[in-house]
Order: sequence, then structure tokens, then C-alpha cells
Amino acid sequence: AATAPGKKITARLKRTLPVRGPQAPTLSELMRWYCLNTNTHGCRRIVVSRGRLRRLLWILLTLSAVGLILWQCAELLMNYYSASVSVTVQFQKLPFPAVTICNINPYKYSAMTEYLSELDKETKKALETFYGFSEGKSKVRRSVDEWNSTGSDFFQQIPLLKVEDFSRTATDLHSGQKRKIEGSVFHKDSSIVNSGDSNDIIGFQLCDANNSSECALYTFSSGVNAIQEWYKLHYMNIMAQIPLETKEKLSYSADDLLLTCFFDGLSCDKRHFTRFHHPLHGNCYTFNSGENGTILSTSTGGSEYGLQVVLYIDEADYNPFLVTSTGAKIIVHDQNEYPFIEDIGTEIETAAATSIGMHFTRSRKLSKPYSDCTETGADIPVENLYNKSYSLQICLHSCFQKAMVDSCGCAQYAQPLPAGAEYCNYKKNPNWMYCYYRLHEKFVKEQLGCQQICKDACSFKEWALTTSIAQWPSTVSEDWMLRVLSWDKGQKLNKKLNKTDLANLMVFYKDLNERFISENPANTLVILLSNFGGQLGLWMSCSVVCVIEIVEVFFIDSLSIVMRRQWQKAKKWWNDRKRAGPGKPPQAGDVERQGHDNPVCIDEDLPTFNTALRLPLPQDSPLPRTPPPNYSTLRLETAFTEQLPDTLELGRH
Amino acid sequence: MNLKKYLVRALHRLQKGPGYTYKELLVWYCDNTNTHGPKRIIKEGPKKKLIWFFLTLLFASLVFWQWGILINTYLSYNVTSSLSIGFKTMKFPAVTVCNANPFKYSEVKHLLKELDRLIEAALERILQPTPGNVSDSVSPPLDLQLWNQIPLVLIDEHNKDNPVILDIFETNQTAGANETAASNETAGDNQNSGGNETTMHSETTAGNQTTAPPAPANTTTEEKKYKLAVKLCSHQGSNNCTYRNFTSAAQAVTEWYILQSTSILSKVPLHERIRMGYQAEDMILACLYGAEPCNYKNFTQIYHPDHGNCYIFNWGMDEEALNSSNPGAEFGLKLILDISQQDYIPYLSSAAGARLMLHQQKSFPFLKDQGIYAMAGTETSIGVLVDELERMGYPYSDCTMNGSDVPVKNLYSQYNTSYSIQACLRSCFQNHMVEICGCGHYMFPLPKGVNYCNNEDNPGWAYCYSSLRSSIKQRQICIDSCKETCNDTQYKMTISMADWPSEASEDWIFHILSYERDMSTNVTLDRNGIIKLNIYFQEYNYRTISESAATTIVWLLSSLGGQFGFWMGGSVLCLIEFGEIIIDSLWITVINVIGWCKGLRQKRVRDQYPDAPPTVSELVEAHTNLGFQHEAVGALPRDEALPPEPGTPPPNYDSLRVQPLDVLSPDSDVE
Repeated sequence: AATAPGKKITARLKRTLPVRGPQAPTLSELMRWYCLNTNTHGCRRIVVSRGRLRRLLWILLTLSAVGLILWQCAELLMNYYSASVSVTVQFQKLPFPAVTICNINPYKYSAMTEYLSELDKETKKALETFYGFSEGKSKVRRSVDEWNSTGSDFFQQIPLLKVEDFSRTATDLHSGQKRKIEGSVFHKDSSIVNSGDSNDIIGFQLCDANNSSECALYTFSSGVNAIQEWYKLHYMNIMAQIPLETKEKLSYSADDLLLTCFFDGLSCDKRHFTRFHHPLHGNCYTFNSGENGTILSTSTGGSEYGLQVVLYIDEADYNPFLVTSTGAKIIVHDQNEYPFIEDIGTEIETAAATSIGMHFTRSRKLSKPYSDCTETGADIPVENLYNKSYSLQICLHSCFQKAMVDSCGCAQYAQPLPAGAEYCNYKKNPNWMYCYYRLHEKFVKEQLGCQQICKDACSFKEWALTTSIAQWPSTVSEDWMLRVLSWDKGQKLNKKLNKTDLANLMVFYKDLNERFISENPANTLVILLSNFGGQLGLWMSCSVVCVIEIVEVFFIDSLSIVMRRQWQKAKKWWNDRKRAGPGKPPQAGDVERQGHDNPVCIDEDLPTFNTALRLPLPQDSPLPRTPPPNYSTLRLETAFTEQLPDTLELGRH
Repeated sequence: MNLKKYLVRALHRLQKGPGYTYKELLVWYCDNTNTHGPKRIIKEGPKKKLIWFFLTLLFASLVFWQWGILINTYLSYNVTSSLSIGFKTMKFPAVTVCNANPFKYSEVKHLLKELDRLIEAALERILQPTPGNVSDSVSPPLDLQLWNQIPLVLIDEHNKDNPVILDIFETNQTAGANETAASNETAGDNQNSGGNETTMHSETTAGNQTTAPPAPANTTTEEKKYKLAVKLCSHQGSNNCTYRNFTSAAQAVTEWYILQSTSILSKVPLHERIRMGYQAEDMILACLYGAEPCNYKNFTQIYHPDHGNCYIFNWGMDEEALNSSNPGAEFGLKLILDISQQDYIPYLSSAAGARLMLHQQKSFPFLKDQGIYAMAGTETSIGVLVDELERMGYPYSDCTMNGSDVPVKNLYSQYNTSYSIQACLRSCFQNHMVEICGCGHYMFPLPKGVNYCNNEDNPGWAYCYSSLRSSIKQRQICIDSCKETCNDTQYKMTISMADWPSEASEDWIFHILSYERDMSTNVTLDRNGIIKLNIYFQEYNYRTISESAATTIVWLLSSLGGQFGFWMGGSVLCLIEFGEIIIDSLWITVINVIGWCKGLRQKRVRDQYPDAPPTVSELVEAHTNLGFQHEAVGALPRDEALPPEPGTPPPNYDSLRVQPLDVLSPDSDVE
């Protein structure tokens, strides 16, 4: 008896609920059923509305609502991959960045005489012949007589020329011979040729060794640039042949460069610096490189708590042609970053205290699909030649080096060696300079494709520097300062230091605020769905259920109805043919036998539908039973306690 | 009585409700709810019913899951930033100008005379090329009392494992110069392990030292064998000493001099110190703001422990801050300063120049942190870009609006300046210093009732200060307790320099400036002392990053609504509907429980009577026969529990519900 009520109710429900559902016999009936029963607004109004105009209006409105939903949702989808930026400032103990310090002059000139004396001699001769300049107090002894006797390899390889632009002839400044210029002319200084005084134009010619007719002439408006470029080409040639260990010895040692060191209120020494050999700047020293696993951090801002070093810049030992300025170069970078001193270094003056206040900013971009940046550089088809984490700079340089090795057969001196390649020099690659200049031209004009391949790094750290300079040492403290520093410098230095040999550098955090700029996805899937829901709800009060309903009604059910009708037609046709045999005329009633009357429509699954068909009752009429007594009124008349068993009746049966 | 009435009413209302059993209730709910899924469950055939049941369940769980995510997102209090760049009329920043040197040497010479003689003599000894050649011509005896408070020592590292510590002035009074080998070994170990400070507990053997003065400047040795160190003892002559090593003698001398001079100067009263510093009329020679002339009277004097007298332009303490509405050097502040480099204290500051800083109005200038140098003999142009960061406070980020919620007593409030993180950190340090060392450090403001440290009153202060300064723990405490300000203004400067005055104009400029300052025709200025400053707004003079909450309550609600609507087409009303159903089902439970209890009691009562339960006819008789009722007292509850004689088929509750008549009847009935 206990299970009876449940069954009874379901049975009753089955009986009472009007079933006009998706099993409706015709399409129009199905649509009507859908419109009346769906939860989306609008459709119901189409069916319910009276009058053609009103119905049309509602159809239009509903359709436009659907259109709006589709449009807005498409918009939402398109804007899905957008990022919002947030800036957070965190006050905390900050890791001190790596500070790389180089002398502007790469190698001690006195130590380099062995390698460079020939070149210097020729350079000086060139200066004398071209400009009538003679250096009285030159350290390298030379005589003018030597001039014509020596083979002068350098001039033969790359002759310096004075160019007459219009006649396209050039005077070889060494031999005084005139020669015709073949090939193209590149103007290094500017693309606009100063055609006024062609005598001023000086340059050098690079020829393809294999094909001497193919030459390129590089001209400079000023002899200063021409001589320096020319010198640099030869210098790189020479340096490329010297092994790294020797070069490291030729350059400055930590003791040479660093006189005093003070960090975070404590004394430090050369052990805190890591040597790093830079091809163009010689030995550089990186403070806090993190090589021994620990990275120093600062917990107090201000100049006292940063890095304070006094650098010894031995101005007398400078290479006169290679570098023309005095001082040091420093770069503040992350421990994992390669210091591109030649590109982004800050120069430090001698006889001055340079105070560099830092402000730390960390940025983070979202990678694909938000923006076109790379997290680790692993997805970039350029091999990272530097043993450091990826950056755009590294990628460009590596890319160029790769192109150089591919097309010239040797590697450029200023960048690291790829596996299996070696640096260019005249002896092995007589053609390399021409090749290099051509390639570099292409690289600058973005014809190598490096700029297209290389992408930004997604996260980067930046130290914004505020640099200011004060006189140091002050006039009154100069005396004792130099005395004590000379003592510091130790015993191997006999001379007293000069203040122009010294540079004081202070690198410190201005404040310990780390500014972190990060991109965050503006949309998550949850928010996108919420927005969809908002749109659907706003225009039509629709939901996923409605969408499923639509799919169900418009695709599955419609299809099944159409199929059913086709089936009926086919069946009828078959019957007709069968009947045509006996010659019986087709029954007119068969055509109308659709929907309710059609026995084919009976769905075994749903007896309810069947019953509904059998008993086509008006929807709101109660079942033809005796009207039940109005119990509630009875209940009201009786007291609560008496009433209770009554309510419990059903459960007890 | 009222309660009972209320209960009855509630029950009646319930009974008019969706149904008397859970099932009825549920079916009613599904049929009538506005959420989209449930209706389909009951309206479809059995197969689809199952599908829809699971779909509805799935959607409901999806909704709850996504709601969880949304609420989590909201509670993480994210912010979005918006950036604006441009030019607008802005308050010109306050400009603090100081001399890198705190006091005129001519004024403080009498105080520092002894100290200078000491250091000179010491340097003489250290740098002496050959031993024995000590200049005996030092006419007045050195004040070794002062020296011994914080002595400089030489550490001889000829033998790496056994460094010998040598006092520079070995005299009879000197104690603790001769170290035992045992303690030296520990010192050596410490040094080799890379520590910069060597602590040793030396057994001080007071006695005459016979070793010759150190001869470091032996020109033949390759390696540097001697190091200067500052010896710091917790009390004079005590065993608890630290040697602060320096790789460079220059650093050691500077540090030592600073410690000593701090001790001397801290005894000088403030007004005297102000007098010894640079006066505004001597320092600020010319001033021009935009097209308007200004002079040293437009500057507010402030005493800064690092730099002596500093002068602040446009501080905004007394008068309104100046606005600048034009970009470019012509409309900025132009200053000519004299730093008189000849009057510098030689050992105190080795860098010469002016120290200047741009900061917000009413904030204290922390020149050591944010200040920049301007070099003598140059014109320094500073283009300013104001970089503002406006942040939301708690709970979006951990910052403070005015510092009132920071647990550190701000000592800089005595200057009437606003809170800043630097002020907090320094106050924190000073408070620790006072707590541990018993006196305040000269560089920071004093709390009430505390004096500055000096060698006489606090012999161990330098040791105490030194250990406190390098203590990581103390710093971390301060970092943890201080909060940054929510509105952060930075002045980004583009600094450029040129030589000034040019050689051609040098003469007349010096002449005029000297005349104006000293009213004399003599040129009292020179290249080494004169500085020109231009401070102006750049074309784009501000960049403001302001934060706004990424997730507001409105956002949360619309997202929640969107989710609910998306999956189920539901709204808040649907939730209320659901709540109603729960209440209804609770009522049903209550009724069921009551019924069950009654049934139980009835059963128990029945069990008390051995005779069989009354048959229906008996009961009918009990109803009709009035006398029957009084047969037994125990029968009464049973009587009550009896159902009213139904006989009729169960009422069609659904139809009952439709009857509109009953809706109001109970209410009106009670009324």
C-alpha cells in the first residue's frame, strides 16, 4: 500500500498532463507547441498575438533579438583574447642586480704592442701622409723611411682611398695611384652624399676576393670615422687570431680595475666579482653575478647601502686609435641576462663620482594568443649562442652570426662562436670583410629576416637609472684621497695616482619598491559564459536549455516529422501501386489521415501521447470524475489537532 | 495562545501549498518553476526524462562550480590599472637644495681640529715608506683619548693564517694591541671564510709593545699585505670587540672619521649646528621661477643631518604650492648656487657638488635615497616627468593612506611632514637604536627624552650601532612593519649637463655674483664652487597610473546572473522559489515526524492494553456512542489520533489548489 501513492500520482500525471510535445504530427503543430511551451520569450507572443500586423511585429522583434544575441556573442568571442594591465607595487627586500663594469679600453696598450705595433705604425703613417699629422711623443718608435720599405699588408688588403665622386676615380692614399672605382659605393655616414667637396670624402674599398670586379667602396665624410673604422677592421682581424686565454691576460685584471669596493655598508673585494670576457671591451667584471649560487639583496635603499666602487682607469695605457673616450662602461642587468655593454651600457666619467639611483620594474606580458612574445625562446628557430636566458638582443645577434657563418663561412668577432665555426681572419677567409659589410647592410635593412623571426621576451626586468655626477675627489680631499688610494693600490704601482685615472661609482636602489606590471587575461571562460548568459537572458531570457530545446525541436524533431511524412508518402505510393494492380481507386481519406488520426504516429514510447490522442480533452477541463469534496474548507472548520491525522492519511495507507 | 494560532495558520497555508508529500511537492515545483531544466523532466517521456534529469543536474552543478570561481575571483580583489599621459597644470615639485658638505670647515675647525690631527698623523704612519722615520716634529701631543675610543688598526696579513693586528699609535696607554695567537687564528678563519667582519674576544694583555711601527709601503712586495680596520668595542677596554675590515684604506678612514665626527657633532646644540652650516644668502645666489624673480627668502630652511642646512623651494608648508602651466626650461626654476668647495671638511665628504632632490609638497627630503648630485662648474638641466601611482587601499593592496595604521612611531612628524616609507624605515631604525643602545643616532630625529650618542656618555655606541646596522633581522622587522603609501609620486628626471659659465662669460658672471653677494668688487667665487640648475616640466609632464577595482559587487552579481541565466535561465526569484520548496519540504518533514511520534505513542498505549485494538465498528460506536468515550482515560489520546472517518476517495489536491476561493479564506477567517 505504501508504494501506491507514488504510482498513482505518476499515473494521474500521465493522464492529466497534456502531451502535445515534440511528437506533434505536423511541423506547424510542432512549432506551435514549441512556441507555447518554450521558456524563451518572444516566440510565445508570435503564437498568442492576434492580428497579422502584431504577429509580424513580434516575428521581427524576435528575429532581431536573435540577431542581436548572435552579434553580441560574436563580439564577446572576438574580444576574448584581450588583456588588462595591472600594476602592483611591492615594498620588499629586493635582489640586487648584476652590475657589469668594463674599462672602455679593452686591452692594455702596453701589452698589445706585440700584436698591434705593425698596424699602429701604418695608421700613423697614413695619418701623416693624409693629414700631415705627426706624433712627436709617440711611444711606438717608427721612422718615415720604413714607410715605403715595408710591405704594408694592411693597405694592400684594404686600401684607404680618397674619393672623387663625380669622376668615379679614387686616389690610393698609400701609393698615390689613381684607380677607377668599380662596384657600388656605400656611404657610411649618411645616405645623402655630400657632393660639394669630394676631396673630403675618404673611404676604403672592400673587394670580393674571388671576383675582384665586385667591389664596394665605403666612404666617410670625416677622416676620423674612416680611420677608426679602418683600424677596427684590422684590429678585429688581429684579435680573432689570438686565443681567449691570452686575451684575458692582455686585458685588465680585477685588481687593476677595482680599487675599492663597498656594498651594503660592508667591504667587498674582487671575490665578489666575476670575470667575463667581452670581445670588444676585454675583461669586464660583474658584481653579484650569482655565479656562486647566491644573489645579494638589498634591504635598505639609499646611496650608503648600494654598491660603491672606485675604478682605476689607466688612461695612459689606452689604445689611441681604437677608443677615443676615457672612462668605464657599466650596465645593470639581471643575473640571467647577457650584458650587451656595447649596445646599452652607461658611460662613467673619470675624476667624478657617478651616482646611479635605480628603480626596479618587472614586466610580464601574456604570451600567445594574447600577444606575440616568447617565454623561453624555445619556439624561435634561432639557436641561442649566448649562455644566458633569451632576449630579443640575443636573438638578433645569434641570427646575424648564423647568417654570417652560413654566407661567409666564418664567425664575426664580436659575437660568440656557433658550434663548429671559427672567427674570421684574413689568413683563412680573405673575403670575409666584404662579406661582412654586405651582410651587415642587409641586416640593417631588415633583409635577413632576423627582425621578423625574433620576438620579444614575455617577461623582463628593468632597472630605470637616474644618473648624476659630482666632482670627486673634492679639491680639499683630493690630496689625502689620492695618497690613501695609492697606498691601497699597493706596492706594484710606483707612481702616485692621478685623479683622472679614477672613477667613483655608486649604484643603489632609490627605493625598495618593486613595480610589477603584468598583463592579465581580461576574460576567463567563466566570465565569457557569464557574458553569454547575460546576453541571452537580456534579449530573450534564453539559456543553454533553450538552445538544447531549439536543437531538439528544430533539428531532431522537425527532421523526424519530415522523415515520417516522407515515409508515409512512400508507403502510400507503394500502396497505390499495389492497389493500382487490382485497379482500386485511391482512398481520399488516406490523404487526410495525418496527425491525430494517423496510427503511424503512435509512439510506443509514450503511451501518454496516445492517451491524450484518444481522449482529446480540452486542456483545462478536469478529468471526468466526480468532483472531489472541497477538503480545505472542511479543514478550516476543524481544529489543528483533529486535522493532523487527516494529512497523514496518505502516508499511512 | 498566539503562537498556536500562528502555527495553525502556517499549517493551513502549507496545506494549501504544492502538496502533502515530497513527491507531490517536487512535481509541483518542477512544473511551475522558472528555471528551464526541471520542467522538461516531468514533461517528457521516460527516456528523455532521464536525459533531462541528468542534464539539469549537470547544469546545476556547472552553475555552482562557476559561481564558486566567480566568488573566488571577486574575493581576490584584483585591480585594473589605467594609464593617462599628457600635459596639465601641475604643482611644481618641492625642490630641496643642499651642499654635499654639511658644515663650513672654517666654522667647525675648532671642533674637529684634534680629529684631523689624529687622522693626519695616522695616515702619516700608515703611508710611511720606511719604518723608523716617524716624524717627531708633531708639536702638540695627540689626543689619544679620542683615538682610543674608536681606534683604527692595521691588520698584517703576511701570514694568511695568522694575521697580526697592529695598533697604529702603539703607546703605553694602548691596551689590547698585542693579540694572542689563539684568538688570531679564529680571526683568520673568519676572514678566510669570506666574512667582512671579524669578531674576536681577545685577552687583552696590557703591556708595552715592542714591535716597530708597520711598514706597509714596502715597494717590493707584490701583494697587499696590510688592511685597515676599525676596532669597535662594546665598552672601552672590554673584551667584546669587533674589527670592521676594509679592503680599502680610503673607505676605512672615511668610515672612521664619520663615526668620530658624529660623536663630536652630536654634542653640539642644534642652533649652533645650523649656524655652522651654509647660510641661504651665501649659498643661493640667484633664483628665477618662470619669469618671476625669487631669492633665498623663498626657500624654507631645514636642518638635514647628512647635509647640514638644506633649503626647500615651494615646500607648501606655509603658502600654497606654485603651479606650473607651461612646459620648457623658460618656465621652470633657475638657480645659481655656490657650494664654496674650498670650505669643505676634507675627510668627511670626498664628493663635491650640490645635492638636490625633487619631492612632493609637505614631504621630508631623503636626499641619501632619492637625491641627485649637481656638479660644480656646470649647468645641470633637469626635465621633470611626474609619475603618479594612485592605488586602492585595503583590501586591494597592502598600502597605507596616511601612515596612521603603521605600528612604527613616525619621528619625522616633528617636521610636520607627511608619511613616507623612508620616514618609517628610519624611525624604525632609530627606535631600535634607542631601545638597544640607549641613545639615538645622530642622522635621525630623536624620540622624546633621548640624547644623541657620543663617545663620552655611550662608550659602546659605535659597536652597538655597527652591529645593529648590519643586522639582517632588524632590517627585516622594519621592512615588515612599514607599509608603502598608496599614492606614490615619483619625479622622473632627464638630466643633462653643460659647462657653465663658458670661458668667455666667466669673468663678468663671477664678478656680478660676487658683487651681489659680498658687495665687494673682489671676485670671491670660482669654477669649483658655482652651479647652475634648471628644473622644468617636460612637454609630457605627467603620467598617472590609477587603479580601479577589477571586480565590483555589480560585476559579481551580473556575472552570477549571467552564469545562472546561461545554463538554466534562472534568476534570484528562482532561488527564492527553491528556498520556498525547501521550507515546504521541511514542514512536511515536521508533520511527518509529528505523525510518526503520534503513531508511536498510540502504539505504546495500545501495547498497554492486552486486549486487541478496537475494530472499526468499535470505533464507529465510539463516535456515535457518547457514553463510550468515558470508558477509560487511556483511550482519550487514541481517540484523538483517530482519523476522521473518510470513506470518500482521496481528494484531488491539484484541483483543490486551483480553487481560488481558499486562498484568502484562512487569513480572513482569523481576522
